[in-house]
Amino acid sequence: MPTFSLPGAVKSTGADGERGARRRRLNWPRAIVVVLACLAIFLPLFLIFYQSVLSAPFFMPDKVLSLDAFRFIFEDSDFWLAFKNGLLLASGLAVIAVPLGGMLAFLMVRTDLPGRGWIGPLLLVPIFVSPMVMGFGYVVSMGPVGFYSTWIHQLLGVIPWNVYSFTSIVVIAGLTHVPHVYLYASSALKSLGSDVEEAARVSGASPWQVMFNVSLPMIMPALAYAGVLVFFLGFEVFGLVLVLGDPEGHLVLATYLYKLTNKLGTPSYHLMAAVAVCLVAVTMPLVMAQRWLLKSANKYVSIKGKGARQKPLPLGRWKWLALAVIGGWILVTVVLPLTGIVLRSFVQYWGEGVKLADVLTLQHFRDIWEQPSLVRGIVNTILIGVIGGGLAVACYTAIALAMHRKPDGVTRLLDYSVLVPRAVPGLLAGLSFLWVFLFVPSWLDTVLKGMDNGVAAWLSEHFIPQLRQLRSTIFALWLAYSVVWLAYGMRLVSTSLLQVGPELEEAARAVGASRGRVTRDVTLPLIKFGMLGAWLMVFLIFEREYSTGVYLLSPGTEVIGAMLVSLWAGGSTDLVAALSFINITLVAIGLGIALRFGVKLHN
Amino acid sequence: MTFQPTIAAAAIALAFAAAPVLAQVPAGYPANYQQLVDAAKKEGKLVVYGATDSKAVQPLVKDFNALYPGITVEYNDMNSTEVYNRFISEAAAGGDTADALWSSAMDLQIKLAAGGYALPYKSVEAANIPGWAVWKDMAYGTTYEPAVFVYNKRLVTGAEIPQTHADFARIIAQPKFKDKVTTYDIEKSGVGFMFMTQDAQDFPQFGALQQAFGAARVRVQSSTGTMLERISSGENLIGYNVLGPYALVRAKNDPSLGVVLPKDYTLIMSRVQFINKSAKHPNAAKLWMDYILSKRGQTVIANESKLFAIRADVTGETTSAELVKQVGEKNLKPLVVGPAVMEYLAPAKRMAFLKQWKETAGKK
Repeated sequence: MPTFSLPGAVKSTGADGERGARRRRLNWPRAIVVVLACLAIFLPLFLIFYQSVLSAPFFMPDKVLSLDAFRFIFEDSDFWLAFKNGLLLASGLAVIAVPLGGMLAFLMVRTDLPGRGWIGPLLLVPIFVSPMVMGFGYVVSMGPVGFYSTWIHQLLGVIPWNVYSFTSIVVIAGLTHVPHVYLYASSALKSLGSDVEEAARVSGASPWQVMFNVSLPMIMPALAYAGVLVFFLGFEVFGLVLVLGDPEGHLVLATYLYKLTNKLGTPSYHLMAAVAVCLVAVTMPLVMAQRWLLKSANKYVSIKGKGARQKPLPLGRWKWLALAVIGGWILVTVVLPLTGIVLRSFVQYWGEGVKLADVLTLQHFRDIWEQPSLVRGIVNTILIGVIGGGLAVACYTAIALAMHRKPDGVTRLLDYSVLVPRAVPGLLAGLSFLWVFLFVPSWLDTVLKGMDNGVAAWLSEHFIPQLRQLRSTIFALWLAYSVVWLAYGMRLVSTSLLQVGPELEEAARAVGASRGRVTRDVTLPLIKFGMLGAWLMVFLIFEREYSTGVYLLSPGTEVIGAMLVSLWAGGSTDLVAALSFINITLVAIGLGIALRFGVKLHN
Repeated sequence: MTFQPTIAAAAIALAFAAAPVLAQVPAGYPANYQQLVDAAKKEGKLVVYGATDSKAVQPLVKDFNALYPGITVEYNDMNSTEVYNRFISEAAAGGDTADALWSSAMDLQIKLAAGGYALPYKSVEAANIPGWAVWKDMAYGTTYEPAVFVYNKRLVTGAEIPQTHADFARIIAQPKFKDKVTTYDIEKSGVGFMFMTQDAQDFPQFGALQQAFGAARVRVQSSTGTMLERISSGENLIGYNVLGPYALVRAKNDPSLGVVLPKDYTLIMSRVQFINKSAKHPNAAKLWMDYILSKRGQTVIANESKLFAIRADVTGETTSAELVKQVGEKNLKPLVVGPAVMEYLAPAKRMAFLKQWKETAGKK
């Protein structure tokens, strides 16, 4: 095997000349993949860091190198407020989501809870619905004059909650992140046999005692990983706070960054970049911690050898309490916001003293239909999910193959590199991609013009304008999406790659197949279904993505997610509701297909 | 958003361009205007970046095309910061950008014009709009939009409806209005910031107003639409400095919204337009500028876009003439198109105002 899987370094020519030459040719695809991947990952990041140490936007003639941007934000009390809120939000998120997620996982995986079949998919809904849509759903259903608040007000005379308070934001964010914990906790539980729990049950422990004293401690590493993950996600929360935090002015770092777009009257890219660097300084260690925890997550698994024989634990009279907990969570996190949006998208106006039956309308959908940019947005969203998702999976597969069975420095570099974009919030990744698409062509143009030869002149004449056009095509958006979700997509693909036994590929090599042929005829066919599943997951994620497109939004690159942010800022609530409804429908279709074909929604 | 005429229309236009038709020059324009029209038709296209909703601009584009067939108008609808950001970054990177910029962020528009991005062009219509709305034959004010009070008609009635700024400060001090007053988040909304700094100058009791906002725990929003929605639903009762055209349009279809023009003084904002100095289609842009300022264009702005015509000779509900009738000429305070609007773009001055605002009105 070592002879076949030697890395890019090629033995010199000489006697082995023909073979060496062939191998060099064969390694071209890998080199291209590695270079392109690194460019796509590091160029935007470099621009952010570069911008953060300038005194003005990097394209302005009067910029100088300086640390003024950092000085400004460190002196701005809003920054510290946002930072503090971010920490609170992230910790609150972990405190709420981890126990609840663990509990849900225990109930779903280990017990005879009734209705597990249909509860399962419902639990995952919050992952696939855009937080922007969720936040908006809470405003219209539970805001001060939301649909449900009004009913409660009629019943009780008071509304016992304030959805705009920071506490509410933390609780809502915590509840909507429960599924992330649930996913990891449940897959960890599934890999454990249930004999220890049965033993506890037999010795007289109640289901709750079993859960707290036996099951959850056993999956502690998975819970710790999930805890770090939601803490990290808490730092990235943007849409929820954008929608719910506005009326009372609650800020987190991502919304502070968004606010800087206008705070000084003129664009302050240098300040935004400085905030971004601070944000990355927090998230990068978290991403690395996740990686480390994931590696050590299996260390408690000591009873695998016996086979994972699992018998559901009878809940007995606890059943109803458990059902009530799950039902309550589903009600608050799924039913309330989503029904709110559906209602809002079909009424003309709303509020105290308005009878809903009198104001039902389809006008908002007609309005969408009449605005070409919104129709384009819907079409683009479908395209970027279906075709873009497929292309993204193809790219992820190419990168995964470049790392496949090649344990060398390049692989290690890629291995860490793909995690990097995860640490950059989507909002900012979008902005830096805008910069890339604006300025790379003009730099190239300058270089080409300076070269003074025929080819360069021709390139500058014909190729550069094409490159410039890319910015206002959906390609720009697709690239940003693919890079932002790189780490996620790579995990999906490499999970299926791991399942391919090395002996199959070795056998093919032994009978004389070239490396390309092995990939084409052995590896790829074997991971076909894994790739299809990944495609569906990426479709769902791309449908829900909203922040990456915010700064890339221009005529031709509209997608529903970014349109929602822009329309929300412009105050077109009717359209936001109707678009949200369409978005949810798209996600529901994708989720339906995934369930129909039995795609694993997690790994 | 892009408006594209049919190929047939383009073909006809080409045919006309070959044989100039004098009838296309509007009455009263200089004789050599035909040359400009011909040159513009040769360019065949016009790119506008604007902060006005596509929906409101659509009738203007349609009418412009009827007047000068053969010029495709590509109107790009974005928010006012985006107009500025996109334009300066595209200008720096080279490549395509807008021919004309039309935005409600008066300060940013003047900053660009003063920064050498504007093409000096004396519009043939310049004499027909007020002197304060023209700056150095580069930047032109095109609309006359009042800042108004908006209230919920179901929940606010009679003496609770403020008529002046002093009324407003007094009324929102009542317990009923606590948590129920809204205005722009001046950190996010350029227009809101501009109005508020102007109030600080024009309203003697501005300090008291700020305190009243603070006591009522004013709710801030980044957009007019959100404010109107919250007032309409009853979540908020009353809104301050709301941009008039949007409020009036919505109040027409929404029985719960009431609109008041402040009687002591009414601030007026004007959407500023200039032509890009390195425009790809400068002649088409000049034609567009003249059209927007012409009586014909202003009539469309008033009656179809509902943005309030700046020309005094245009009549109708949403015109400056009507506002003069309602609150009197001396009570209308237009923000002058000129370097004065840039005062608060100096970071130190802006931050100082924001800080003071947050310590009084924005305190929680």
